[in-house]
Amino acid sequence: MNQSNKSILNTLAGDRSEKADLLHGVFHELGVNFASGVPCGVLRHIIRNFEDDAAVLHVLANRESEAVGLAAGAFFGGKIPVVYMQNSGLFSASNDIASLLVPYRMPIFFVVSYRGCEGEDAVQHLTTGRATERLLESFGLPFEIFGNQNL
Amino acid sequence: MNRQEAIKVIMATIGVQNAVVSTTGLITREIFEKFDSERNIYVPGSMGLASSIGLGLAMAQQTRRVVVIDGDASILMNLGSLVTVGNKQPTNLLHIVLDNEAYASCSEERSMSGTARLDALAGEVGYQYVRTTDNQDDLKRAIMEFERGPGFILAKIELGGRRDFRRPLELAAIKNRLMLFLARQTEKE
Repeated sequence: MNQSNKSILNTLAGDRSEKADLLHGVFHELGVNFASGVPCGVLRHIIRNFEDDAAVLHVLANRESEAVGLAAGAFFGGKIPVVYMQNSGLFSASNDIASLLVPYRMPIFFVVSYRGCEGEDAVQHLTTGRATERLLESFGLPFEIFGNQNL
Repeated sequence: MNRQEAIKVIMATIGVQNAVVSTTGLITREIFEKFDSERNIYVPGSMGLASSIGLGLAMAQQTRRVVVIDGDASILMNLGSLVTVGNKQPTNLLHIVLDNEAYASCSEERSMSGTARLDALAGEVGYQYVRTTDNQDDLKRAIMEFERGPGFILAKIELGGRRDFRRPLELAAIKNRLMLFLARQTEKE
């Protein structure tokens, strides 16, 4: 991720939330009515939008794996779920994605904040930051990276 | 009471319209081989998540009872899930833990449930109905007397039993079957 992509995190983390609102509008159009995840500061406007939307059943999870399970259960029950987390949690939940969502063929949309990319100063994010895209590629999961130029 | 007996009592006592979520390993494989049904969903991987899947399903289908058949080592992997259930208070969720104090689907290594009070813990975090049983009659009664959840039944079972069960493999078909079952029944209601 280049420097301009990094700044999108700052955009979403700031006071402005137009882009989070835009994303929420997309979720609304897709019929999303269930959300679960573990908070990340970068995602706070996205999470608040889920919380404030009476049409969305929002269940906070203690761990990312739990969020995957909750979303899978909601999907079985006819809901259209979104799961949110930081990319660090993507690694915690990776087996649950691989052994539950993939073999059951559940098309569940994830919103993942991308820590550990260029410009990151928190050392605990650097290893997972370097490995995030390769993790998704190795699982065969389609993904898009959004930065300032395309969000 | 052993696993075979406990599963038989559960599957014979719960309502035919109940959805069933079963945990990883021999519990899922025994239910799949002996009690396979369109109302069942199996959790052959993602050990620990049966209760989370059950909660998500119960919240999505609030007029239907959801029965989670969990194991002691399985719930120990996801203890936070008990807290989430207690917080969300799904009245239609019945969470049954078959507790043999071991990873019975592996090589019967001891788990740590023997020194924990999972039933007391469930009560402390907000389950509204908590029962502990170690025999078939009490297990049957505990299921029949359950009305309003979230409910937690700790069923102490003995180690051992048959291991050569088939595995559920056609998971996408099992998912489609459950979703059609739920949709059909929802229309009737």
